[in-house]
Amino acid sequence: MPTMNAGIQVRERHTKHWAPAFKKLRRLKVQKVKLPNFREEDTMSELTPDQIRSRMKEQGILPPRSWMERPITISATGAVFEPYIPPEGDGKLSSLTLGGAKQSMEFLSKKSKSMLAVRKIRSFEDNFSPSTFAEEAQDIYIKAHKALVEKDYDTLHQCVTELCFPLMTEDLKMCTTRWQFLKSLEPPRVVHARCTDIINKENIFSQVTVRFHTQQTLAVYDRFGRLIYGSEVVAKDVVEYVVFEKHLANSYGLWRIHEKIIPDWMPAREPGRKTYVQQKPVVESEPVADTAVPATPTEQSAAVA
Amino acid sequence: MEILLRQFQTKSFLSICKCLEPAYSHATSWTSGNAMLGKTLFHTSNTVAMPYNPPKGPRKWPIYNKKIFAPQLPGEERRPAYVCHMRTNIKYSPFKMWYVASMIRGMSVDEAIKQLSFVNKQGAVHVKEVLLEAQKLAVEKHNVEFKSNLWVAESFATKGLVMKGIRRHAKGRVGLVHYFHCHYFVRLEEGSPPAHFFFETAPKTTKTLLSEWVDEMRQRRIPGSL
Repeated sequence: MPTMNAGIQVRERHTKHWAPAFKKLRRLKVQKVKLPNFREEDTMSELTPDQIRSRMKEQGILPPRSWMERPITISATGAVFEPYIPPEGDGKLSSLTLGGAKQSMEFLSKKSKSMLAVRKIRSFEDNFSPSTFAEEAQDIYIKAHKALVEKDYDTLHQCVTELCFPLMTEDLKMCTTRWQFLKSLEPPRVVHARCTDIINKENIFSQVTVRFHTQQTLAVYDRFGRLIYGSEVVAKDVVEYVVFEKHLANSYGLWRIHEKIIPDWMPAREPGRKTYVQQKPVVESEPVADTAVPATPTEQSAAVA
Repeated sequence: MEILLRQFQTKSFLSICKCLEPAYSHATSWTSGNAMLGKTLFHTSNTVAMPYNPPKGPRKWPIYNKKIFAPQLPGEERRPAYVCHMRTNIKYSPFKMWYVASMIRGMSVDEAIKQLSFVNKQGAVHVKEVLLEAQKLAVEKHNVEFKSNLWVAESFATKGLVMKGIRRHAKGRVGLVHYFHCHYFVRLEEGSPPAHFFFETAPKTTKTLLSEWVDEMRQRRIPGSL
């Protein structure tokens, strides 16, 4: 097509058939073949339901049966109910000082709501006691972390709830982890307990928060074996508030790690060795008002001319 | 058609109702229940509503991305990261794509993208898109720190689907028309590109030149001699 470019005619096609009058007949010589569209998936997410329906009609696919029932199993709750609020500065004072001793004297028996929850748990589990449970909880904690390191997901599902599982495994899927539990600096202690029911009043879930003060080493290597977090040699003192959950109404229910309570006052973790490009904040520029060009010559333009 | 059917197989029924939004690939699907339930997790099982269509096309190239290397010892040289990416069934001839694929071998990613922007071929558009996708993947998922610190280690194209059509020629003769597709594969590696990627174009060292000259001299024979 000839185009006008500052008064000069420019033809964009550089080729021309020697007999252009027979183009239509020449086109009819080739049988058109319908090729499959392999780039369809890229635009699939932008389609509206009506568009999807029309495409399916074109291809002769029936929509999926709408009366299909799906069995649903609620095996874990989606959050921590009435979370424990750890006292500020916990774990910083030595238990030999007065302040530290006071902190460790935080008795569960003084918390009425937690004791009610413990009594509820005892109605399902006869020999449940906070002191024995704390030790069991530490065993579950160690078992879960060992399974995570070895990528033994069968054992990990036994030790960890459905809420916790993706949080633990997602980032470490392409990584190698080396974790060691060195020792427990203070005996584990149950600090909080709550019971809730989902849908029915009989379908009870119990959540128990256990406080751990331990010494651990953690080293995370990326896919290529390069260290990205921590160290295999340097031990760290860890104060953690781990929430364990059990589906009491289920006779096959297990005590599993559900969540971790990270208070605001806790010092930030060691930053990873990876750098990121900081996203520039989107600055909304003020709309520029179009200034009208004067039709009549002003003094300045007249002076230039 | 197959692509739509595949959607129903791999994704849960609940997610399809939400206008084909992406869902988790494993069995559990997260839904926020009503006020009575609060925020609960539903553990559902996938129901098969559609007939099974096996995946087609090349699938081995992205498996290289799943390989996990053992942690490196403290004294070892840092292993360079790499990412393998591909695009299947591009509507372009593999014979034509060869020119574009071989052009960028051994170039740094930035240089390759720059050059491809000005190559007068349809295939270059696809190759450029694949490179940009691969660069993004490398930074987001493969622990590559700087997106410019990548070079094209492997770049090649193979034959994809070939559909055959017919055309007529003069005097009732029939001709076959091939509608070619190709698959394009690329591997980006972390680091600066090597000085000489192609052995043939690398300048020879004095040692090799000397040994070659000596061999040539020793091969000389006097014709017709005993």
